[in-house]
Amino acid sequence: MSRLDHLLRFRLAGRAGLALQRRRAERRIDRARPGAGPGLNPPLRSVARMRELMSLHYLEGRYVSGIRPVAWVTSGAPSEILKALGFFVVYPENHAALCGARRRAQRLCEAAEDAGYSRDICSYARTDIGSVLTGDTPVGRLPPPDLLLCCTNICQTVLYWYRVLADHFGCPLVLVDTPFQYRESPLPHEVAYVRRQLEEMVPIAERVARRSLDEKRFLEVVTLSKQASGLWLEVLERARHRPSPLTAFDAFIHLGPVVDLRGDPRTVAYYRQMLAELDGRIAAGKGAVREERYRVLWDNLPIWYRVGPLSKFLAERGVNIVASTYTHAWGEVAPLMDPRDPLTSMARVCLYAILNRSAGQKLEAMRRMVGEFSIDGVILHSDRSCKPYSLGQIDQRRTLAEELGVPALLLDADHNDPRVFAEEQANTRLEAFVEMMGR
Amino acid sequence: MLGTTALPSRREVIAEARARGQRVAAVLPYHYPRVLLRAHGFHPVEVWGPPRIPRDLGSRHFPAYTCDIVVRATSFLLQGGLDGVDAILVPHTCDALQGMGSVLGDFLRPDPAVLTLYLPRGQRPEDRAFLADELRRLGGALAGLSGVEPDAAAWESAFTAESSADAALASLYQRRSRLAVSDRDFYTVVRAREYLPAEEFVALAGSLPEGDSPAGVPLLLSGIVAEPLELFDHLAAAGARVAADDLACGSRRLYPQVAAGDPHERLADRLLGAPPDPTRGSPIAERAAHLRRRMEESGARGLVVYDVKFCEPELFDVPLLRAHLAGAGYPLLHVEVELGEDLGQQALTRLEAFVETLR
Repeated sequence: MSRLDHLLRFRLAGRAGLALQRRRAERRIDRARPGAGPGLNPPLRSVARMRELMSLHYLEGRYVSGIRPVAWVTSGAPSEILKALGFFVVYPENHAALCGARRRAQRLCEAAEDAGYSRDICSYARTDIGSVLTGDTPVGRLPPPDLLLCCTNICQTVLYWYRVLADHFGCPLVLVDTPFQYRESPLPHEVAYVRRQLEEMVPIAERVARRSLDEKRFLEVVTLSKQASGLWLEVLERARHRPSPLTAFDAFIHLGPVVDLRGDPRTVAYYRQMLAELDGRIAAGKGAVREERYRVLWDNLPIWYRVGPLSKFLAERGVNIVASTYTHAWGEVAPLMDPRDPLTSMARVCLYAILNRSAGQKLEAMRRMVGEFSIDGVILHSDRSCKPYSLGQIDQRRTLAEELGVPALLLDADHNDPRVFAEEQANTRLEAFVEMMGR
Repeated sequence: MLGTTALPSRREVIAEARARGQRVAAVLPYHYPRVLLRAHGFHPVEVWGPPRIPRDLGSRHFPAYTCDIVVRATSFLLQGGLDGVDAILVPHTCDALQGMGSVLGDFLRPDPAVLTLYLPRGQRPEDRAFLADELRRLGGALAGLSGVEPDAAAWESAFTAESSADAALASLYQRRSRLAVSDRDFYTVVRAREYLPAEEFVALAGSLPEGDSPAGVPLLLSGIVAEPLELFDHLAAAGARVAADDLACGSRRLYPQVAAGDPHERLADRLLGAPPDPTRGSPIAERAAHLRRRMEESGARGLVVYDVKFCEPELFDVPLLRAHLAGAGYPLLHVEVELGEDLGQQALTRLEAFVETLR
């Protein structure tokens, strides 16, 4: 890739083209009229800007090799250090989710399976490995990494996966290991351990980036990250209104920037705009679902290849999934971020990730959300590919139903592998769940 | 051949430990500090399922895609199999055992105290420092249960006893080609380290006779746990023998001896000095190099990766291990099993065919 390609195809033509696409999409949304009866209202206008932001990011990825150092990182990793060093950051999980949403994941999983990877390993990992092995991706091209950053605060799976990537690409793998939190608060030696790993990560990243970390720039990135996470939390909290101006399915889609583009002023501007749009909907009394009868909490990752159909299926029955533990995970850490002590606060943020906390603490989070969002029922997606999220759900479901009297459904699926999802069976169970909420 | 009555059962060992005034900790797989437990007045008895305990009770708490060790161990606990133990130690080996520790601590809340141990995934100075602190934390929890705060002499005594047992285990592996015992008997003895007191294990390991070892196509066996033990009978019948292993219940726990220093730091060094292992985050190339060395030293002609179903740490490595070892001329066979079942005919046929190709 040349600097000229980067300049012409990304900075000039790409930006202009995507801005044009965004304006067209906004006009389409503006012209869309709500239908009659139950169902979904037209989507948020912000979706067009979100697509522009994410497309720009992936477009830059096509031309960035040799222009900026590239890091592949896990979704819970402290990427602010890398961003301050000028790394272009790729999130393979986000890319895998995109492949899932675009119905590309199955063939990529199969490519990984053909290479010997078991169907019993995480479907994000299989999607990503399949993409690496075949070069097949809906984003045109993913730039190969100069550095891998793996933080175990979402699962141990990412470490097994990134070891495979390290072997394949032959680049350094930086590990940020986060002791699992069986207790409510991390112990001092746990915080010190994560902080020390962050300190040790800096010189490795500096060597790869061939530049030193500028403290001022680092603090700027941390501040922008905190602002983006805080705004994201505000966006999600708007769903407390009845009717809710957004669904968790919207949130799954709009989550992209706070995961991939934290530390970027465009992300802050984007969530400000989204918040204003939501406030406009609230002022107009307009909900995301036309006739919101039931408000539901979603637990676990989305079923990426069924986000649209599920959203429609539920909306037609007056169900709005107004909140999810998954999307909240990127917002609830905002208060913990402290630009005055960035490394220690980043260590605490890493440890606080929802998947790094016990099943009991996750239940407490759900219990809180049931009250705060006036929840009528809970869907717990039993996600075959995500054991840290799914192990414990049987007892969580039982407790929610028995102690809080909230109908709770355990829905078997997989976040990215459609072969595991039995549509008819799922629909039957969802119908019964809706009936139960109506009693 | 060792008779099945030659060794005490785990239940008998627990009763004997209690009669000696020791407390008993049931320990889930697989890296943990025996010295620490002993120094704090605990005798560890490991729980690897057990196999053949029905999944039913455990399945009420874990989804179908959870590994057998976790589900069957939970069943075992719920049916009273761990009655009488004072603590359950769940090392953070993988996401499944993490989930088990969480479900036990948050929902099932059994009578024995549920203790956890986070094992760092690196071997850097910060990992060592963290692990030493984590062991101090665990020691504090053990002392809280037993009332035993070890002094220097107690530490030294615990190190001496457990180091002797570790050395006896290492010696068993070194003498493997000279031992006149079947693979099944060899692994029955190796696995007695999971529950016998160190002193008894040393005596048992030393009692194995030397002589002509069984013949057969030499294999290296990798994986978590070689269950059912009939596996070894089947391998022998197919004309194979296990020349070396990379089993979690076997040679992955050949810890280095660390002579002196702060006890918690010594223990951290021992645990971090174990052979390469996917659950500890060892790079795959390092692991492949280790396996290649073991194959060269033992004369093994092929590698059998024998996995418990749904074991992600093992599953991720298989394709690249296959590629790395193929470069050195070593073929790999991957077999997945469920602990509760007899070895299926399909797995047997694949094993037999693999051995046939190595003749």
